[in-house]
Amino acid sequence: MAPMKKKGERGAAANYITRNRAIKRLQISLADFRRLCILKGIYPREPKNKKKVNKGSTAPRTFYYVKDIKYLAHEPILEKFREYKTFAKKLKKALGKKEFDSVKSLEENKPEYTLDHLVKERYPTFIDALRDLDDALSMVFLFSTLPANDKIKYKTVENCKRLAAEFQHYVVISRSLKKTFLSIKGIYYQAEIRGQDITWIVPYQFSQQVPTDVDLRVMMTFLEFYQTLLGFVNYKLYSDMNLIYPPKIDIKKDEGNAGLTAYVVETSEGKDILKNIKTKPEEKEENVDKEKMKEYQERIKNLSENMNIDNEENEEEEEEEEANEETNDIKFEDQGKTDENEISETDKLIKETQLRAEFQKLFENCVFYLSREVPKYSLEFVIKAFGGKVGWDSSVSIGSAISENDPSITHYICDRPKQDHIFLHGVYVQPQWVYDCINAKKLLNTSNYYPGETLPPHLSPFVKLNETDYNPEEEIDEDEIMEDSEEVSGTTKTSTEDSEEVEDEEDDDDEEDEDEDEDEDKEEEDKEDENKKLAMIMMSKKDKRLYNQIQHSRNKKAAEVNKLKKKKLALQKK
Amino acid sequence: MTNPTIPGVLPREVHPEIIPIYDSDTSDEETENTIGNVPLEWYDDFPHIGYDINGKKIMRPAKGDELDKFLAKMEDPDDWKTVEDEKSGKKIVLSKEELEMIRKIQGGDYADGYDPYEPYVDWYTSDVMVTPLSAAPEPKSRFIPSKWEGRRIMKIVRAIRKGWIVPGKKKEEKPRFYALWDNDDEAEERPNHIPAPKLPLPENDMSYNPPAEYLPTEEEIEEWKKLDPEDRPKNYLPKKYSSLRAVPAYDRFIEERFERCLDLYLCPRVRKNKFQIDPESLIPKLPDPKDLQPFPTSLAITYKGHNGRVRSISVDPTGQWLASGSEDKTLRIWEVVTGRCLRIWKMEESITNVSWNPNKMFSLIAVVAGDTVKLINPLVASNEVQHNTDEFLKPQSEIEKSKHAEWINPSTSEAKNGIRQVIKFEKNVTYITWHRRGDYFATVSPDAANSAVLVHQITKRQTQNPFKKSKGLVQRIQFHPSKPFLFVATQNFVRIYNLVKQELIKKLQTGVKWISSMDIHPGGDNLIIGSYDKRLCWFDLDLSVKPYKTLRYHKFAIRNVCYHKKYPLFASCSDDGNINIFHGMVYNDMLQNPLIVPVKIIKAHEITENLGVLNCEFHPIQPWIFTCGADGNIKLFS
Repeated sequence: MAPMKKKGERGAAANYITRNRAIKRLQISLADFRRLCILKGIYPREPKNKKKVNKGSTAPRTFYYVKDIKYLAHEPILEKFREYKTFAKKLKKALGKKEFDSVKSLEENKPEYTLDHLVKERYPTFIDALRDLDDALSMVFLFSTLPANDKIKYKTVENCKRLAAEFQHYVVISRSLKKTFLSIKGIYYQAEIRGQDITWIVPYQFSQQVPTDVDLRVMMTFLEFYQTLLGFVNYKLYSDMNLIYPPKIDIKKDEGNAGLTAYVVETSEGKDILKNIKTKPEEKEENVDKEKMKEYQERIKNLSENMNIDNEENEEEEEEEEANEETNDIKFEDQGKTDENEISETDKLIKETQLRAEFQKLFENCVFYLSREVPKYSLEFVIKAFGGKVGWDSSVSIGSAISENDPSITHYICDRPKQDHIFLHGVYVQPQWVYDCINAKKLLNTSNYYPGETLPPHLSPFVKLNETDYNPEEEIDEDEIMEDSEEVSGTTKTSTEDSEEVEDEEDDDDEEDEDEDEDEDKEEEDKEDENKKLAMIMMSKKDKRLYNQIQHSRNKKAAEVNKLKKKKLALQKK
Repeated sequence: MTNPTIPGVLPREVHPEIIPIYDSDTSDEETENTIGNVPLEWYDDFPHIGYDINGKKIMRPAKGDELDKFLAKMEDPDDWKTVEDEKSGKKIVLSKEELEMIRKIQGGDYADGYDPYEPYVDWYTSDVMVTPLSAAPEPKSRFIPSKWEGRRIMKIVRAIRKGWIVPGKKKEEKPRFYALWDNDDEAEERPNHIPAPKLPLPENDMSYNPPAEYLPTEEEIEEWKKLDPEDRPKNYLPKKYSSLRAVPAYDRFIEERFERCLDLYLCPRVRKNKFQIDPESLIPKLPDPKDLQPFPTSLAITYKGHNGRVRSISVDPTGQWLASGSEDKTLRIWEVVTGRCLRIWKMEESITNVSWNPNKMFSLIAVVAGDTVKLINPLVASNEVQHNTDEFLKPQSEIEKSKHAEWINPSTSEAKNGIRQVIKFEKNVTYITWHRRGDYFATVSPDAANSAVLVHQITKRQTQNPFKKSKGLVQRIQFHPSKPFLFVATQNFVRIYNLVKQELIKKLQTGVKWISSMDIHPGGDNLIIGSYDKRLCWFDLDLSVKPYKTLRYHKFAIRNVCYHKKYPLFASCSDDGNINIFHGMVYNDMLQNPLIVPVKIIKAHEITENLGVLNCEFHPIQPWIFTCGADGNIKLFS
């Protein structure tokens, strides 16, 4: 007889561990365990079969992977936690005894830990780190706006400010901003870095009240890790662009609340890159473009390899392309003639790059002047990220490159319905114009955005519309809604249609023919409906449920869209 | 001593220092207050406070009014140190010593004059005595340096010499950040890691200036506010601001970030495959009903005449006549093709079941009305058949008496009407079914306990009770079309008995709550049942005792199910007024499962008093179906 198998020693039961058991195994307090989990990025798992894992009970319990917990046990930070605990005890004792000499020496040898290895562990590649940057950025930007107090250290806030500004500088220099959105919660930005879409939200800069039910310890632990992560990401981004990290801070400007301009970004050769951009924007741009072109070329190359084109000519041409990059547009066109598939692919890529390059230079020829009441912290960043020049009122902060009466100014951004003094060489627009231009990827007509005008609606650039979704920009008419309501309610025929048919019979022959056609169509539809109904009888219970669920969700969505359409129509009629 | 300015205010008495001797106890001293240790407010309503030794009231000292108080405050320099004695209600001016005591207590000091810092009395003096207590000389260790301390110091000295310790050295400032991802090749993937899902991106309605149609109406705002924060579909209400300047800070910003943090480290993560399926692909691909014709599709004839619910119909084996029994207590014979009502019999009670003898040699109807079963020759068949029938049912003088049922010869008037035999039962009969040869028939009277199922033989005028014990409420029974088997459907099970061997062959587990009807495929290997809980089950008797297929498509209870004798068709009728026609092909090949295809749904009868179609039966030859309903009509669909 085989030895009896014990329950809970093999399979899923052995793979999972409850939180309490994990804490016992690690011999740490719950608070320490939580901190460790946050820093190490360890999270509970949902076992496939709760009963098997939970000794037959279905009580709600959080489970961790046993491997994850074992992995925690070997964490050097755990040792540091313990060291810190003894240090705190010693310090307390020394303070109690008023042995200030030993306090001093203790303070000098205070155990410190870094999270560098955790960043590397959690994000083995740089792309992984970029992919997970959304939360880090949002947190760092939030804490950069919070006031320092006994819980939030001044140093932390300063560091957050610095990291946020550094990242913004990178986005400005690399011109990687893609989308912006003014929401009621804050300002959303989306940048594309190394092919990753990074979205973060920045609150409107007003004093924030920290709610009492928020556990700041948890947030600070997260922030601790995010600061380290963002620091390393910034370092990598800067060093890959041949810039010196960390950028220097102009203390005078920083004290004058200059924001972004307080940072002096230099290349490794010691040039101030921001100045370079301002004086000779094309040079830098070309560099970027060349890099981009190279990247795309490689992609194209890979593409053609994938397509198994064994055409020698092509290969030759590719070599030529590598030799002279500037003429590659024409070459691609030649190549395109040989293979029709290639045409579309390569053309598409080329077009994409061109469009992207143009988009990056959106505000190249614009000079903006921000008046007092507009959010400078956002507009300065956004305008600079698309190559525009910005000046602002000296009462907001120092460091403005342009004064209000500068004749080169093309756009005055203001949010007051009335201006004290109007300069005629520039256009006065409301701030929404800048954001709408970026989302539309072109300079929009300013007439709708004059101060005091009712603004056109500001739409989210993140919405990807399906056919069934509601498009607020689309014109709608009444018939559409009627049809929709029919679809939603599931009725196919209405009494009005029947009466129409009766009336039509008296009309011309042609129309009758049409009617017959329609009737035939309807009959066919009816038949299909009936067949479907019959076939549904034979569906299994599971399938039927799934089908009903899908239909239910579709109907719900359609009802929502219909509601919006009706509302719009009612508003139009008014 | 009295205070001259304010009446009734006495200076606080200063007691002499107590000398702790025998007489020092003051407990028996006369006190002014005689009320004892009780709160003064008990005397609030009286003008006096207690009584003196002579039994006279001790009057309450005069209390000044507010003006007096004010004057005292203004004029009396001692007012600030005047307190009221709770016991006597008198005012007492605190003495200098008492004030000092209060000050000390407030300062956390000793109340009395105790001095904790008295000069230390050195009982054992430090003065060297002339004669020492010990004459031992100082040990050597007092004079030589410690070996261990020396070793320890040497260790440090050596470390300093070798440069291991650099005194006064400041910590090196390392660059905080460095190239962490320079060698990506050694990157190790975390096992089984599930990256956190990103937060959903904002939609149009989150804009500070959304299109007007996104703004909620008053009712929607109310509704949103009423919901629990967890139940709200979105945690914000769309709002429109005229300009960017007007947009305030979002008050839940920190809270939302915090919630995200909690989600990141507390939410159990699980990988779920979001599969995108076309719902149409879930609908099974079935052969087109067009290819499975013939089957009844449209209404051909309506047989009108009954005034009550038509409970039961039966078609004669030749397919020419239709018998129907109704709750208006009439039995009617219809000509199928013309819809003409030929004959009407009036019964004593409402008819629950009608069944035509399946043998073509006879023309005989069994009618169940209450607790009687009547065998009727409808007098519509050809003379030969009528003669056969009458011969078959010739009145017998000697009828064996059974304890369960009584065979009675009809009266002459009844006989003239065609009634050939009357059988009386103890309890009401609900169902009757014929054996294929037409000699035997079986009846069900569910209330009759162990005699619920009875089998009758006409030729012998005999009634048999095949079961000794009742096995539940019998719903339906039926004879096997070719073998000597009897199918008995109780509430949940169908039992199959071999009548020759007298044993149970099979017990089918239907899984339904209450069987309403049953029919056996003419091949004999398949069986369908309908149930009051809307289900139709198809059993393949060779396959299993569990249903091969259970279908649920009627909205209300199924009343009857039936097979067609010739065509591969079966149908079910329900209280929702519909009959569903199916193509049910049974193959001779044992390996091939029966093919079931729904081919038609017919809205047959109106729902009256929650009852729809009460019975349905296929035409024995043609692909037609008869239905009868609670609306009193009988319909033929062809």
